[in-house]
Formats: sequence, structure tokens, C-alpha cells
Amino acid sequence: MTRSIGIDIGSSYSKGVIIENLEVLAWHVLTSGSDYRVAAGAIRAELLRESGLRDDDIARTAATGCGAETVGFAQRKASDMVCTARGINRLFPQARTAIDVGSQSSRVIKLSPDGGVTNFGVTEKCAAGGGRFMEVIANVLRVDLAGFGTLAAKSKNPVTFGTGCAVFGETEAITRISEGITGADIAAGVNRALAGKIASLVRKVRLEEPCVICGGGALSTSLVKAVEAELGCGLLVPPQPQLVAALGAAIIAAGSGAP
Amino acid sequence: MTKVVITDERDNCLSVVKGPTGAEHRRLANEVMQRALARADLHIDDISYIVATGYGRLNVPFADRQITELSCHARGVASLFPGARTAIDIGGQDAKCLKIDRGRLTGFVMNDKCAAGTGRFLEVTAAALGIRLDDMGNVALKATRKVPVSSLCTIFAQQEVVALLSRGEKLENIVAGLHDALAGRIGALARRVGLDPDLVLTGGVAMNRGMARAMEQALGCAVLIPAEPLLTGALGAAILARETCTRALAEGQTLHPRPRRMEEATFFGTEEQ
Repeated sequence: MTRSIGIDIGSSYSKGVIIENLEVLAWHVLTSGSDYRVAAGAIRAELLRESGLRDDDIARTAATGCGAETVGFAQRKASDMVCTARGINRLFPQARTAIDVGSQSSRVIKLSPDGGVTNFGVTEKCAAGGGRFMEVIANVLRVDLAGFGTLAAKSKNPVTFGTGCAVFGETEAITRISEGITGADIAAGVNRALAGKIASLVRKVRLEEPCVICGGGALSTSLVKAVEAELGCGLLVPPQPQLVAALGAAIIAAGSGAP
Repeated sequence: MTKVVITDERDNCLSVVKGPTGAEHRRLANEVMQRALARADLHIDDISYIVATGYGRLNVPFADRQITELSCHARGVASLFPGARTAIDIGGQDAKCLKIDRGRLTGFVMNDKCAAGTGRFLEVTAAALGIRLDDMGNVALKATRKVPVSSLCTIFAQQEVVALLSRGEKLENIVAGLHDALAGRIGALARRVGLDPDLVLTGGVAMNRGMARAMEQALGCAVLIPAEPLLTGALGAAILARETCTRALAEGQTLHPRPRRMEEATFFGTEEQ
């Protein structure tokens, strides 16, 4: 019986799962904060507490995400691309394209039938290409990300942002609010702008269905709908989209996937 | 901000006022204008010609003509520095590089798409570091070395500087790194039109002495800074207005200024060329 932990330290959220024979025993998500080391330790403690296991019960741990280097107790580090691919392959073996909307950037991954990465694209090093743009505007609108999605769904007339910059977008959102534009139309405008960037990335690596969307951004059903509208196809969404890379890391730690 | 410059027939400044623009549609131009008139002890009817410029130039109901900020900046810079061939204007929402030939604009590049290439970069990171924007330059000048800030996006740089600080880097060295990063990006923009001396730096960021030094290092040449770097656009507009009068006079034409309406802007007018 192999138990392993996968930890994904993202720029905004840290995620972890414990698996036993490829089944998830426990999972946990928290904000990364400024010290990734603290976040990693807190996640492991919480995973062990929830599953009722002890340190010795865990065979191996793998870390991924932008803070992977800070997870001192992991025996293995793996790129977030490879982990996401492996996680998607476990949840949707038929998937050939995966969209991962993280806080820092969005990625599109082309998958082989065995869960390998055959091609990929990443948005530019700019907050407007990832979920951070949503976080920034959600902060202006004083809603959390779930509230942001609900708000956007009510929009009748999404705004069009003048620039692709998240900082200028924030100013523009504040100006539009003072002009009487609703939060719903602003939130939907953010979704549309982000969906446009994601869709052009998907076209660059060529869409092959079935296509999955994951990462924290996929928690917003209205963003998923906006991406679907841009791509003109349906998207599969895992039940816990933000945990996919952590799951992939746990599978890699268990050494049970293809090399 | 809304800036008003009133000049006489020899381009001497009679009155200079900087006032708020106001959040709602830049409606305060009339108030700033009234203050400028009062300071010179003039009445609106004493003014022969009024040129409005800037992003809000269409919202100045009492102006006779609108001219783009690029042309006005070029004219204003050339009047202060007759040898100027290049002007770099860095503000909170854009950065522009102008090529100037004898006071006329001959080319320009502009960035208003990405905050990381404008003064907003320093504004946002100053807030993240907990220091006042006005102090940024002086803090940068105290640096003993520059800590590179690698994020290309303002939002990510915000996180990066806090992480650098918690890693024990000195505040002044981080701030110097921020100036260096911005100067590098603006230098790259400016090189697209070419850098010919004399080079003049204007806009709000030109008041930051640390930025002036960073720009000199990034561009490899001396940088001239006007005493009032925020006023070159309004000054240029005043000079262009005076030139319009002089030309009309020389050609024996009478100017027919519009009836002056010193009220708030209530509609968005159409631009005249």
C-alpha cells in the first residue's frame, strides 16, 4: 500500500493531497502568504491530521509550483506542466488538451494518451494573462473569487477594457464604477478579456478535444463559460480543479505513472 | 492634474497654476482657469486665444482650439531648451518619447498599454514598500548597489519587492533596482525613435532625482530637466496659441475666438483640427 503526498505551492494558493493507490485520502488548500516554507509545512500537517496518518505512513512526497524549491521535506520536485498533465490524465484519460488557469499565468498543455506533454503554451509574464487579473478586480469590487463568478453571470453588457494591463485595468474598473457601470458588467468584462487571451493561446498550440480546464481559475463557472464561448467548444471541469497539479505530483511521488 | 499657463505676446509667463482635474470627467478646468486669471489679475475676455491639450482637451468648453499633447510638449520643451532633439515624458499613465526638430514634432513612440513602462510602476511598488512616491528618488540615491527586480509586470513586481525586503535586502537597494528596471524599459522604448542630444526629461517622474540618474545610466547620455517638468505641455499650448495670433496678425486676419463659456464641461465636444 503506497501513500504519497503531492504539494503544489502556487503564487497565491498552496494545495496538497495525500493519495493511497491513486485514490485521494485528504486534500487541503490555503493561501501561500509571503513565506512558502510555512505554507508547505502547514499543508502537510493538515493533510496528516485529516487523514489520521503519521509521518512514517507517507512513502514519498513530491513538490511542484513556483515555490516547489521551498518544500524541504519533498524527495522530488517536478514541473507544474508535467504534474498538471499527470493529474489530468488520471481524472480524464481521454483529454488531449488541458487549460490551466493559475494566478500567475495561464498554460495550455497538449497531452498524449499516456499523460505525457507533447506541446504547451504559456501566457506572457504579465498578470493580465492569469487569474491575478480576476483577483485584482475582485478586490476592487469587494467580492471573493466565487462571488466574482456569480456577479459576472448576471451581466447583460460586459465592458471592454482599453488595455491588456491589470494595473490600468484596475484604474479603468474604478472609473467605470464611478460612471455607474455595474460590478456585474465589469466582472464579465474581465472574464471576457482573460478568456480571449486563453483562447488565443489554445489556438496557438491547436485545440484537440476533449479539452479540460483546471487551476483555480476554473472554480469560476462564468470564466469557464466565457472560455467555452471564445473557443466554441465545451470544456470538462474536474470537481476540484485547483488540486490537479498537486494530484499529479502525488502520483509522480508514488512512482505509479509512466516515467 | 489640470495645468494653466498664461503668456504674453513675447511668451513670458504671466500666470501658472496647477490644480486638480477631478475624478468625474475632468470638469474642473474652469476652476483652475479662474485661479490662473485671478493670479495675473486678468479677465477671461483679456485672453486672445486659448489652446487646450492633454487627455481631457475636449472637455475645455472655453478653448478656441485643441492640439494634441505631443505637439504641445514638443513646442514647450523646445522653448525651454532650444537645442532639444528628444523629449521623454513619463507620467502615471503613459510614457512617450518625442523627436523634435526646431520645435516641431517629427516622430514619437508611446507606451500606454503596460503600467510597468510608466511612472505607475514606481507608484505601485512604493505603496507595496510602504514609502511615499515623492521619497522614492531620494531613497534610490542612497543605494550602495542595485538589487535586480526581474518581474516584467507591475503586479508581480509588487510581490517581488516585498519578498526581497523579507529576504533582508536593503530598502534603498531595492528601490534603486526598481528605478533601473523602469529606466531600462523606457530606454528601450526611446531607442525605437532614436536618441539624439539634447535630451529632455519631463512629466511627473522627471521630478524624481533618482530616476534622472537611472535614465542617464540607461541611456548613456546627459538628461536635461526643466524647472517645472509638469508644465511643458501647457506652456507649449500657450506658445502655439500665441503663434496662431501672431500669424493671423501678420496675414491681416482677425481672429474670431469662440464666445467664452466659463462653465463646467457638460458634454464631450468634437475635436477641431
